[in-house]
Amino acid sequence: MTLKEYVKDRTVFLLINFILFIIISGIMILVGVNIQIVFLIFCIWFFPLIIYVLIEYFKQKTFYNEITSITENLDQKYLLPEVMKEPETVEGKALYEVLRQANKDMHEHVKSYRDRENEYREYIETWIHEIKTPIASTRLIIENNHSNVTRNIKEEVKKIEEYIEQVLYYSRSNNVSKDYLIKEVSLAGLVRSVIKRNSRDFISKGISIDLEKVEGTVFSDAKWLEFILNQLIGNAIKYIRERDGKVIIHTVQNENNIVLTIEDNGIGITEKDIHRVFEKGFTGENGRKFGKSTGIGLYLCKKLADQLGLGLTITSKIGEGTKVSIIFPLGSVVFMQ
Amino acid sequence: MSKIVIIEDTETIREELKTFLITYGFDAVAPTNFENIIQETLNEAPDLILLDINLPIFDGYYICREIRKQSDVPIIVVTSRDNEMDELMSMNLGADDFVTKPYNTQILLARIETILRRVQGSSMRDTVVYNDLKLNLSNGSVTYKGEKAELTKNEIKILSCLYKNKGKIVSRDDLMDFMWNADVFVDDNNLSVNVTRLRKKLEALGMEKNIETRRGLGYILP
Repeated sequence: MTLKEYVKDRTVFLLINFILFIIISGIMILVGVNIQIVFLIFCIWFFPLIIYVLIEYFKQKTFYNEITSITENLDQKYLLPEVMKEPETVEGKALYEVLRQANKDMHEHVKSYRDRENEYREYIETWIHEIKTPIASTRLIIENNHSNVTRNIKEEVKKIEEYIEQVLYYSRSNNVSKDYLIKEVSLAGLVRSVIKRNSRDFISKGISIDLEKVEGTVFSDAKWLEFILNQLIGNAIKYIRERDGKVIIHTVQNENNIVLTIEDNGIGITEKDIHRVFEKGFTGENGRKFGKSTGIGLYLCKKLADQLGLGLTITSKIGEGTKVSIIFPLGSVVFMQ
Repeated sequence: MSKIVIIEDTETIREELKTFLITYGFDAVAPTNFENIIQETLNEAPDLILLDINLPIFDGYYICREIRKQSDVPIIVVTSRDNEMDELMSMNLGADDFVTKPYNTQILLARIETILRRVQGSSMRDTVVYNDLKLNLSNGSVTYKGEKAELTKNEIKILSCLYKNKGKIVSRDDLMDFMWNADVFVDDNNLSVNVTRLRKKLEALGMEKNIETRRGLGYILP
């Protein structure tokens, strides 16, 4: 708010004063009052008026400057009415009251949505918990009745499990603190357990793996990491070329981070798609070709990695393969969002 | 034969798990009445207990605590909750291991065997005998009529898998699954090479009838 703007806002008020003064001084000059007296009246009239306008201007300017700067510094802008001093002017009070009302209403609105979302998420988690029992029995039945048919069913059941796991992590992806336990995780152990989970695919597609250079430990949540890694390795398997497929997993220890890289010699991702692979629902050319992509896997990986404070990068060359790296920062405490 | 008590309220899982464990040579008992479950379990004098968490009447944590008061029998908690907190709580209450549903049955089996081996002393379970062939799992050697040979890690895994299924054909796929579950990520060619090598080692010891190949089906230890 500049002085010019403020004065412009008061134009009518000042104009009326001027017109009044001109009329009065006109009358005074007509009846032969001394011009000096007219000037004196001008001073008596306008000096306090201008002082008043200026004082009001500075008062308002400080008030609005204060709330603007508070708002700018606030992380959550809607908290303004809670933070600001209650103003003394009538206009300020009215503004304050309106802000508070609007805020209160907004909170109620948000709360109703939040409740609804929580309810839904709780339902999903209970449901996942329930569905695991029939899956566990199915697995046991398959194990007790070994045949080629059940072997195929086992494969399908495994896919169902993966999708269910994805739902679980999706529903949890906005709320880390509920299910989060930091402990020492051995990268070699983690990689091995994920490889084991996907062993059937590796064996049946004849994909060779090289885990020679995986070492190091990080502090993180093992379950979340395993989920991320499983998605990444799952992708590597999915988009690998038939025959002489190869997955190389290795770690590089840098001064302030450990980088775990999963490299495959699959079909690769085109350049125009690569920047968008972490977007939700983005399937790209490969997704269309293979028709199996949901566009959720990598999006979720990125989201979870962000929450865990990890970096996730992807590079690819069409026809040559894809490299995905998870970057674990070292030496500093990683804060949760 | 080790006795395992399965405390599980879902009927299908209970029965199938029982069948599964019996197939693998355990004496499995699965009580169906949960009112007196703690006493009933202890009366069976099991070597190991598989315990679900969500149960009618008492929950798994309570049962675990009560059993611990009276017995040191190994307990593996099996649950569909996959929360780290549940794991922590189970361990604090005295469980020996924690497996989440739906579990890989081979992994469950491996965990059961590990715990039993630890509890029952290693000497007993580390050596298995098959037709005069003594297989020592801990130092990776085989002895046949006084002759001794060293085996590699892969060869031991192959031999122990075939031994577990002795008299039955083990398909190459199953053998691969077994190896991969044991952290040995071999490929198809590698497996053939290992089997051939193993067979030669056994022949060199003078064991004529060892691993047989059934074309198109797999391997068998007759």
